[in-house]
Amino acid sequence: MTAKLDAIKDYPIYEKRPELIKTQTGKSVDEINIENILSGKITPEDCRISAETLEYQAQIQESFGNPQIAANFRRAAEMTRIPDDRILQIYNCMRPHVSSKEELLAIAEELETQYQAAVNASLIREAATVYEERHMLRSE
Amino acid sequence: MKRSKRFEKLEQMPINKDGFAYEWEEVGLVCMESPFDPKPSLKIENGVIVEMDGKERKDFDSLDKFIADYGIDVSYAEEAMAMDSLEIARMLVDIHVPREKIVKICCASSPAKVTEIMNHLNVVEMMMAQMKMRARKRPANQAHATNLDDNPVLLCADAAEEATRGFAELETTCALARYAPLNAIALMLGAQTGRAGTLNQCSMEEATELELGMRGFTSYAETLSVYGTETVLIDGGDTAYSKAFLASAYASRGIKIRFTSGTGSEVLMGSAEGRSMLYLEVRCLFLTKACGVQGIQNGSINAIPLVAALPNGFRAMAAECLIASMLNIEVASGNDTAFTHSDFRRGSKLMMQFMPGTDFVTSGYGGIPNFDNVFAGSNEDCDDYDDWYTLQRDMKVDGGIVPVKEEDALAARNKAARIIQCVFAELGLPEITDEEVEAATYAYSYKDMPPRNKAEDMKAATTMMDKGTNGFDIVRILYENGFEEVAHRLMEMLKQRVIGDYLHTSAIFDEEFRVISAVNDRNDYMGPGTGYRLSDERWARLKEKYSALKPKDI
Repeated sequence: MTAKLDAIKDYPIYEKRPELIKTQTGKSVDEINIENILSGKITPEDCRISAETLEYQAQIQESFGNPQIAANFRRAAEMTRIPDDRILQIYNCMRPHVSSKEELLAIAEELETQYQAAVNASLIREAATVYEERHMLRSE
Repeated sequence: MKRSKRFEKLEQMPINKDGFAYEWEEVGLVCMESPFDPKPSLKIENGVIVEMDGKERKDFDSLDKFIADYGIDVSYAEEAMAMDSLEIARMLVDIHVPREKIVKICCASSPAKVTEIMNHLNVVEMMMAQMKMRARKRPANQAHATNLDDNPVLLCADAAEEATRGFAELETTCALARYAPLNAIALMLGAQTGRAGTLNQCSMEEATELELGMRGFTSYAETLSVYGTETVLIDGGDTAYSKAFLASAYASRGIKIRFTSGTGSEVLMGSAEGRSMLYLEVRCLFLTKACGVQGIQNGSINAIPLVAALPNGFRAMAAECLIASMLNIEVASGNDTAFTHSDFRRGSKLMMQFMPGTDFVTSGYGGIPNFDNVFAGSNEDCDDYDDWYTLQRDMKVDGGIVPVKEEDALAARNKAARIIQCVFAELGLPEITDEEVEAATYAYSYKDMPPRNKAEDMKAATTMMDKGTNGFDIVRILYENGFEEVAHRLMEMLKQRVIGDYLHTSAIFDEEFRVISAVNDRNDYMGPGTGYRLSDERWARLKEKYSALKPKDI
């Protein structure tokens, strides 16, 4: 277990704690180089930020006095497990007057069970309640 | 009445071609100091805000609720709200009070409280406070690159010239939406050709913009609009919850974002709830904070012709940028929309952010002619470069860009045009001819470019997206075709998304891809001798005036 990162001591992480940063596929950042891109050893799938890195960046913001940005990075950490097109679809479902309450709750369920995205699931459940109160659900 | 010749002449001056209006507080046509703004209040029970600015929790709309639940530091709120607003206003201009202390107070205050603090400040005090409160120690600037024809070769060359001039960020958009992928790629290639580490964005509808980012064609996004009333936010196609989700979606792909807001947008969209423009903008800033978004583009932006038509317009715009900084939010401070016929007036507006410095003094200096600016024209254009540089030189102020020699600008433009020619060829996009490369190198505007077949370009853009082309394909093409340096720079930008250091407040890159943000370049202004001071090296670049006499010439 690494001690929580500190904005002054550990940031920028790539400069001060490069060993902590791995790609989503577990490779080191320095493996992202031209030779590996040309040979196909590094693919776009390798070049994605990992949930762990976002957690470290959240810790930096926490110690910088911005708990809200830290919370954003933690939601993002969960979303690293969700495919691009599904994220776009869920975003569109969260827009006003697009979804029914049941549809939003089903998405929350999916986020929790398929992607271990409990924080996002809770955001969407809250949205479902608020949308109902404020008439922001789809009108049938 | 027999007319005075002087009054007749005055009537014909550019300033009198601008529109002006008196305030109408009841409908929200008022910049600030409205008698209809709520009185500040926060009541907290068991760590939950049960009343905010005179409204009880049971009456909260979705925006009130989101701000109350996520945007305000309740642990310090009672102390902050108990402080006199005038006292806090004085702390803003007191060099002995550090920035952090004011950030702590504001982050624990209600929107009406922060609005009330502003009502005590005059514009010079706001500028002084802006210098102290800006999150990143060094100021920077952003440019627009667009053209009426969406000509990708010209766009790429323009981006390269802007990056050479030192803009930290470049922004493009499209005249025709289907051009988006080509414009994004053109801007990216130009940005990295001109200066390593220049950030680039393509302003489009939310979902398209996210997709361009996911493909690796943009490195940040800014056009995520928020509004200060629930009705207008919904009319804009979002809720606080959808915006928070979208913000995290970007972070999950390692892409930096900021939101966009600005005084006047709510009343323009017909639902200001009788509040002042500044109060509603403060709500946008608290929403930004609540979503955990590091930055904002504000300073009225599109609504500036309306805001500037009213009394206190410039003052309210200075206030909204300052408040972003007070909430520890990065600010790209407007000055990006044409609003006046008067050069005197547009220069004076700029000074309120230019002299103190902000994270991005403009959120879009038009590095192109005004008529080529698809964002409805900026407050500054390519014809104003020498005015800008001279003002930096006159005042010893860093407005974020440096003079360049004509031969250097031409070299960057030509290289960028050749690079996009090669990338188009390799991606199977419609040919870019040598004639177009030559024209883009020397062009003033789209009128100097040979016309392209737009239907073919747009069709090819769609095919390219369908094939799944991404940033890596472009790195490979550049490297294999002799543009190794730019290939490396593009790869570095992609690598930064894995690292995430540039997701933080006010982050930009230097030419070595070292991140400079509010976290590691903290604004420590505490009066003369502290804060951002020009190094000798930087000053030597800023005071460069190629046409000026040197001692040996005299």
